[in-house]
Amino acid sequence: MLGYIVRRLFLMIPTLIGITFLVFMLLAMSPGGIGASLRVSGGQMESSKAALVEAYLEDRYGLDDPVLMQYLRWLGRISPIKTGERDLLKPTGGLVRPPKALNPPPLVDSWFSDFKLPEGKVAEIKATKGPAAAGTAVGREGESPEVIEYKAASKNYAKARADYLVSKKELDKALVRYAEKSGIEGSIKDGKPQMEVFAALPPDTKAPNWNRVRDAGLAVLEAYENAVACRSREIAAFRNDPYPKDGVPVIPGVVSLAMPDLGVAFSRGRPVKDLILDALPVTLLLNFVALPFIYLIAVPAGMLAARYRGSWFDMSSGAIFVAFWSIPTVWAGVLAIGYLADNQYLGWFPVAGLHGNTADGMSFLPSWGDQGFSMGWVVDVLWHIALPVTCLVYTGFAVLAKQTRAAMLDNFNQDYVRTAKAKGVPGRDVLLRHVFRNSLLPLITMFVTIFPAMLAGSVVVEKIFSIPGMGSLILEAINLRDRELILANTFMIAVVNLLALLLADILYAFADPRISYD
Amino acid sequence: MSDPSPSSTSTISGIEVMRGVGAKPAKSFWADAWDRVLLRWAARIGIGWIVIIAFFAVFAPVLANGLPLWTTEFQMNADGSRGDILKEWSPLWTGLGAVDLMLLIGTIVGVPWIAMPVSVLRLKRSHRLGILCAAVVQGGFAVVIAGWVGDWLTAPNAEPGVRSFALENASMVPWLVGGGISLILAFACVFMPTFRKTTARIMLVSVIGMVSTLVIVDRFDPPRANYDRFIDLELKGQYENIYTVIPWSPTQARTNFYVLPPGTIVDSREPDALDTSFGARTFVLGTDSVGQDVLSQMMHACRLSISIGLVSTGISVLIGIIIGSLMGYFGGWVDLVLSRVVEIFMAIPVLFLLIVAAAVLPRNTYMMMAIIGLVSWTLSARFIRAEFLKMRAQDFVQGARAAGLPLRSVLFRHMLPNGITPVLVQASFAIAAAILAEATLSFLGLGPDGQASWGKLLASATGQTGTFNWWLAIFPGAAIFLTVLAYNLMGEAFRDAIDPKLRKAAL
Repeated sequence: MLGYIVRRLFLMIPTLIGITFLVFMLLAMSPGGIGASLRVSGGQMESSKAALVEAYLEDRYGLDDPVLMQYLRWLGRISPIKTGERDLLKPTGGLVRPPKALNPPPLVDSWFSDFKLPEGKVAEIKATKGPAAAGTAVGREGESPEVIEYKAASKNYAKARADYLVSKKELDKALVRYAEKSGIEGSIKDGKPQMEVFAALPPDTKAPNWNRVRDAGLAVLEAYENAVACRSREIAAFRNDPYPKDGVPVIPGVVSLAMPDLGVAFSRGRPVKDLILDALPVTLLLNFVALPFIYLIAVPAGMLAARYRGSWFDMSSGAIFVAFWSIPTVWAGVLAIGYLADNQYLGWFPVAGLHGNTADGMSFLPSWGDQGFSMGWVVDVLWHIALPVTCLVYTGFAVLAKQTRAAMLDNFNQDYVRTAKAKGVPGRDVLLRHVFRNSLLPLITMFVTIFPAMLAGSVVVEKIFSIPGMGSLILEAINLRDRELILANTFMIAVVNLLALLLADILYAFADPRISYD
Repeated sequence: MSDPSPSSTSTISGIEVMRGVGAKPAKSFWADAWDRVLLRWAARIGIGWIVIIAFFAVFAPVLANGLPLWTTEFQMNADGSRGDILKEWSPLWTGLGAVDLMLLIGTIVGVPWIAMPVSVLRLKRSHRLGILCAAVVQGGFAVVIAGWVGDWLTAPNAEPGVRSFALENASMVPWLVGGGISLILAFACVFMPTFRKTTARIMLVSVIGMVSTLVIVDRFDPPRANYDRFIDLELKGQYENIYTVIPWSPTQARTNFYVLPPGTIVDSREPDALDTSFGARTFVLGTDSVGQDVLSQMMHACRLSISIGLVSTGISVLIGIIIGSLMGYFGGWVDLVLSRVVEIFMAIPVLFLLIVAAAVLPRNTYMMMAIIGLVSWTLSARFIRAEFLKMRAQDFVQGARAAGLPLRSVLFRHMLPNGITPVLVQASFAIAAAILAEATLSFLGLGPDGQASWGKLLASATGQTGTFNWWLAIFPGAAIFLTVLAYNLMGEAFRDAIDPKLRKAAL
């Protein structure tokens, strides 16, 4: 059994990689690519500010790399087995990584190969910005010199990198002007200069806009030197271990173990882990309140329908099950809100949310106070989730009841039932002890299909009833194209689902001694 | 057998009984199953509802259209009185798109084609149905692809060379596109097993190819519909319009008409139009939050719903059959690898993947069909796999392999017909699920752009102001519910009809 479980856990790994890769590729296919919404919001700013924002995002999330590289980097963060230098763990819980590699400036090997910065400039940059400048920063009281130095270095590097990106943008602009005047075919696509085309041609130093290009090129080279120096200072500061290292080393410096890092949400600037930890309990609350109801309604109904097969109860319950199963959740939700919750009609239930406005001041349990009856926190929550849970229940129980009926009918035709009847076992005992116990297996399978269906159903239900669970989080993440949040949600849901599948298979073995996985 | 029924008038000898005199020819498996399905009243109601929806899917543009069925334009005299008739034409007919026209032609030809008695046509109904399906595939693909190509050619952001070419040869381009695409599809469709004789096949594809070419050329760049022009000129007296039953298009919005309850008459909102045919119009099911007629939208949405259900299920069953048969037939590492692929899609709720894909990819009908089809194929793959695993050691499969038949033949000609039944039963439920998925995505605002959809209507039932407009909830929701229910009822009846265990019990 243990071996089986371990094997199944290992088989989960390719599945998890596959599903996250699929979602990642889908996101990469979206117009504007990953993080498009952030760039759109940056479109309102002046170009230098937009470039700063873009530089920050690219640095933080590696958006300027090829898509596959970005995925592998995400995978590296999510995997508990890390390679290379270990991250540092800030006291606030955030992770600090060594700075990413810098892309060399464009055209440096062709057009700008004989450009030189002024004499002594490089040395000056190295002296003022590089590792040699360490220890000049002033920090807050109580901070260790390593932390002060690291903070200063990383701040400098972020600025230098942004400057470098801004200067590259300026060079792009200059090249566009240059290409317009000289009329180079195919050199500009979607307003962006194609560097390969330029690199293949000799620069036309007599062209009217050449001076602009040269100045911009020089600025890029200087900004690049600057960024390189700042980067080496940050690396030096990083290697001084300003914070404790994250994880446990397996082979020091090469492989280590650490908690998976779900990243920081683009849109909210908060760690994804916190967002999920806020949202997941809400969704689980909805589902785990709904599940017992589903089984309590469905199993007896299915049993009775099978017991009195062909009777009016069987016929009508069969019709009702199909009807319930066919009601779209969106419709049920809208009708429930409209007629039961909206003040235009009955207004018995709250329209949205998980708590009333005064929930913070409530006592935990219902009580009689000075102002009469007070609902208390628990009843308030139950009152709020009554309609959403109803919406989750009705779809689930129809499927489960039909499955129960079919499984029971299967077993009614078996020989052992005839034997039991023949030897005079009372009908009740035949039904409960013999048939029902043997029909348990499909009910367990159903749990597996119900659970993902309910997770998906709660996306819709949470949207309709404005409940801040996983469903709302997912929809928000998708609307904002928040890559980190979407991927983390995919990962979490897939893990939960696969574990549910595994659990069902294990339960099989317990429910039916004939099944063995060894 | 030994006890002949007393009502029989002529006597038959035992020898004749053995020779089969008077015995009805045995029904085929599918014909038998179909008859059993029709025995259930629930399935009959379901089929009836689907027929109604299909009728609206085809005829909605003719039944509910903001363009007049017939318009007479008059010469206006200086004193505002009418003069001579200038011209008469049908704006509705000129406004129909290529897909609308193709569907109309297909229905008008196809229904009699199927309904004609066997004695007249000498072709079995199932065979005729197959030919009709092949024709629908060929014509439908031609029209849809021509629409894409036309959009690509005339798009404002097209490549400069393409655009200038399209503008220079404006008269030639429709013929080039229509003829070219029809020709390519005709070549591809010759290989579909419609008739045994090649000449008959060539006849079929060339006839359909010609029809599709003519339709594409005629409707290459339909004029933009300007509904208000006809209304305004009629109010001025210059036009005289005869409208269809529902004189509103789904995307036709006029100010003053926001969120009107069912039964509102136009002149209550536009006093100027009093005593005109325009003023006498009624919004039978009210209007939505942007002032579009709900009934018209409901009718036009039938096509979206039914086509998404059918096409996406077709895609998913096709993929499921191919992958499932490979898994079941080969087993071993092929099975292991493909099982992981299936598990990838099972690891996460289909709706979640649909939401991600629909949010990220372009919002149009065909993309939505593709997304739903590509995401939901795993169930049919698992069914086919299980059937093929059972079958692969059986004698007829071994025999087919020993005879040296190609893999294609073994898989799809010998094994598939014996293992397809569970998938076909499941397909009915899959259509229901696809319709539900479309409604849900449209409800979440991720549906096709510029398309009337039941889910979209349902989403506008609870407005931003917190008011609840019951007619926007009841009617579209009931339409989704009834359609899904109809497919589920059909699926149930179909499953029971071919389940040998239940059949034994019924005897």
